[in-house]
Amino acid sequence: MATEINASGGTPAPPHEVGRSGGDETVTTRVYHRPMASGWWTRRRNYFMYVVREFTSLPLALWLLWFLYQVQQAQHRAVNYHPTTSIAFVVFSAIVLFFALYHSITFLSLAGSILRFRVIDRPVPARLIVLAQFALWAIASAVIAAVLIGFAR
Amino acid sequence: MPDKKITINATRFDPEKDQQPHVQTYEIPFYDESMVVLDALNYVKSHVDGTLSYRWSCRMGICGSCGMMVNGVPKLTCNAFVRDYWPNPIVVEPLNNFPIVRDLVIDMDDFMHKLQSVKPWIIRKQEIPLGAGEHRQTNEQIDEFRQFSQCINCMLCYAACPVYGLNNEFLGPAATALARRYNLDSRDEGLKIRQPIIGDAEGIWECSFVGECSVVCPKGVDPAKAIQQSKWDTTLRFVMPYGNRD
Amino acid sequence: MNRQVDQESYDVLIIGGGLAGIRAAIAAAEMNPRLRIGMVSKVYPMRSHTVSAEGGAAAALAPDDSYETHAFDTVKGSDYLADQDVVEAFVREAPLEIIQMEHWGCPWSRNPDGTIAVRPFGGMSTWRTVFAADKSGFHMLHTVFQTSLKYPQIHRHDEAFVTKLLVEDSKCIGAVAIDMRSGRFQALTAKATILATGGLGRIYAFSTNGNICTGDGMALAYRAGVPLKDMEMVQFHPTGLPFTGILITEAVRGEGGYLVNAEGDRFLKSYVPNKMELGPRDIISRAMITEFEAGRGFEGPHGMYMHLDVRHLGEKLIDRKLPFMRELGREFVGIDIVKDPIPVRPVQHYMMGGVDADITGKTPMDGLYAAGECANVGLNGANRLGSNSLPECLVFGAAAGRAAAERASVTAAVGSNPVDAMLRDETKRVEDDYLSKRDGDERIGEIREDLQRSMDDGAGVYRTRTGLVELVNRIDSFRERFEKVKLYDSSRTFNTELTAALELGFMLDVAATVAASALAREESRGAHARRDFPERDDSKFLKHTLAYDAAGSPKLEYRDVHLGRFTPKARSY
Repeated sequence: MATEINASGGTPAPPHEVGRSGGDETVTTRVYHRPMASGWWTRRRNYFMYVVREFTSLPLALWLLWFLYQVQQAQHRAVNYHPTTSIAFVVFSAIVLFFALYHSITFLSLAGSILRFRVIDRPVPARLIVLAQFALWAIASAVIAAVLIGFAR
Repeated sequence: MPDKKITINATRFDPEKDQQPHVQTYEIPFYDESMVVLDALNYVKSHVDGTLSYRWSCRMGICGSCGMMVNGVPKLTCNAFVRDYWPNPIVVEPLNNFPIVRDLVIDMDDFMHKLQSVKPWIIRKQEIPLGAGEHRQTNEQIDEFRQFSQCINCMLCYAACPVYGLNNEFLGPAATALARRYNLDSRDEGLKIRQPIIGDAEGIWECSFVGECSVVCPKGVDPAKAIQQSKWDTTLRFVMPYGNRD
Repeated sequence: MNRQVDQESYDVLIIGGGLAGIRAAIAAAEMNPRLRIGMVSKVYPMRSHTVSAEGGAAAALAPDDSYETHAFDTVKGSDYLADQDVVEAFVREAPLEIIQMEHWGCPWSRNPDGTIAVRPFGGMSTWRTVFAADKSGFHMLHTVFQTSLKYPQIHRHDEAFVTKLLVEDSKCIGAVAIDMRSGRFQALTAKATILATGGLGRIYAFSTNGNICTGDGMALAYRAGVPLKDMEMVQFHPTGLPFTGILITEAVRGEGGYLVNAEGDRFLKSYVPNKMELGPRDIISRAMITEFEAGRGFEGPHGMYMHLDVRHLGEKLIDRKLPFMRELGREFVGIDIVKDPIPVRPVQHYMMGGVDADITGKTPMDGLYAAGECANVGLNGANRLGSNSLPECLVFGAAAGRAAAERASVTAAVGSNPVDAMLRDETKRVEDDYLSKRDGDERIGEIREDLQRSMDDGAGVYRTRTGLVELVNRIDSFRERFEKVKLYDSSRTFNTELTAALELGFMLDVAATVAASALAREESRGAHARRDFPERDDSKFLKHTLAYDAAGSPKLEYRDVHLGRFTPKARSY
């Protein structure tokens, strides 16, 4: 899909005068600056997915706030308060879980090429690093889940 | 059997005549299956419209001159085959995120400045004399930086990077990859000297890992990897005790 | 660079930003750090055609090698037309330049012990070609260019097109260049000027060379009265891809590739039985043409071709030593060289001929030097061995840089008065003949394509008297058509039609010297093969051809070859 040449006019730099010898004629050389269209991220799939990826931090932040609110509510309610009584919260949590997984999986998968470790004198293969990252993630998730569920009881 | 034709929609801009760029359409023969978009432009210039201006030289994907937007994607026009677009028209525009000088020619001054700013040469505390022969280096040591040394300076990565498009101060993919190429070279001792430029707010930290630079790179340099690796290295050096030792 | 001024003065001016030009700039800067060095190139330096060189750089580095064998291989390879004093100096300097490149960061491929590795190459009696995978030129060019950024005294004029050398009192005092961005004509004056503008492959239709290789520096010198030496010696590389002419490096044969004809035969056993695929380029190209003429080549839509087979080398070696070849095969021919043979045919590749220069790069004109492919210092004679050209650029680029620096250190600056007038005259000439001319009717592209086809036909691998006479006449007719060329682009900003027209003018001049020199050399020597004179004739032609500009046709003179310890013998491999 073609990028737009902004029909409403880009911002040509002010004409840059370059005089020639004799001075009877002046040669103007100016360059044309094309502004980035505000919808630049809708034009290519990769840009769109990137913005989605970055955007996931916003619902996640909102979810955390909502979660903290739920935790605070739990303080004032009966012992068997369950957040699941709010259907909206469950649905929102599911959506945010999907976003968080998307962001985390892309992030951890790339760790293999970015992190470089050497054991003795040979580099650790990328796949091993990625597996280790996912393993750590799983362990950390299990620990946190256990703690939270423990508190909820 | 009618001869095949291909339509080229090329950006035109002559600062002496035009207030802004416009598109000009050319219909030319699609004369061979191995024809590339660059061949199409050359046909236009030789036989149809001699005023069309663009850069090219080697036609084999190694000089880096012929980068342009082809249907909205930054490509080397010497390596964009007409058969992949035919029968649809091919839109050829100057590389994104750079000012247009003329037609399909962009202003490369900022790029050249950024390349130079990372001090892309071997920096040593003490040079060894020529008579001492070569530095000993193994092919495995070269493999450490080989990928980042493949950059042909075609600027497709800068055209693909929305961060650079929004903020021209950003150091950018190719310059960072080049810096990393020297930082990883076992003969170089200049990492700390390059650090202020790379680690600047407009350096690696401006990158938010869109990753499109590596997608469009025609030589597999993977500049996104170079930048993210630099982020990790820089952080480690900052955080670890004695991390900033040479 | 300053686009605002009419004149800039330098101590040393280098025209051309490839391997030889940049090496010269660094050498001049190192020799005298106070010199102001200007480097003008019609493209950004990373685009220079050095970048496409693949195979490697020969130097007597290995412990079992010697200057004598490198010199002998080179002299024999040149079919004894090389100036042996130049060869002897070259083989001694080449290893130092390789080490210098390594110090500057060039990623030479290595032996397991970390020392620089060498590979076999055509015409070399031992393994001496140093290489950076199969992108040696790319790595070398980027290494010197990036290193040159360290020197603030090197001022670059990128994308400035030189139209004429400035000469006063038979001394070269600089050049006129068009800044392409602004269209402004500038006089760049200098106490010493070095031409390093590369080859002229684009005068041929089928060439490995990039668009920019149009013989500019050769024509500039020629028009200024400097002779062009051995212009009939044009090298055809045996293995170019059909249609595109893209180079498949000799290193493919060096690593063990086989050249096979349509009968499945490694036909070189009938031509160079002792060296086979590692014979010199001129003999192998002729062998291929002979096989084509006998009907033993593969027929293709773009001419006959042979197979270059590397399947037996295995994927691991190919990926380690020939990865760029694999990429080229995949991208431009749609084959995987690990599984398919590569189609190849002889293609114009290099110019042994060039601006007459001596061992220090000095030309017969005071203040003018030349280095690299645009020069003929006497190293390559009638045929260049593969992997001698990259070190040639380094050795003679450095030599010219130092010689120019020396001269600049003892010469007074050029006065601006005569230069003002020269600049005005040159500006007027280009404007009148090209930019403002409205009454022409010839298209640049059409004249150019006709010239290229004619050169392929008349001055190819095999030449004949009739073919060359026809070629000379055709070139004259193209010149007449060129007088009536019409430019459609009158813009001052980045006018590539103007530069194409100026280049075509240069191409016609050098093409005329190639044709005239080839017609006059009635023998076969090295790359110059005459069907009507198939033998080498040392009694008449152990001489260099010198072509002088005589208003229209080249005027030829001859100069004896500098012999040395290798007496000319019959040349067989």
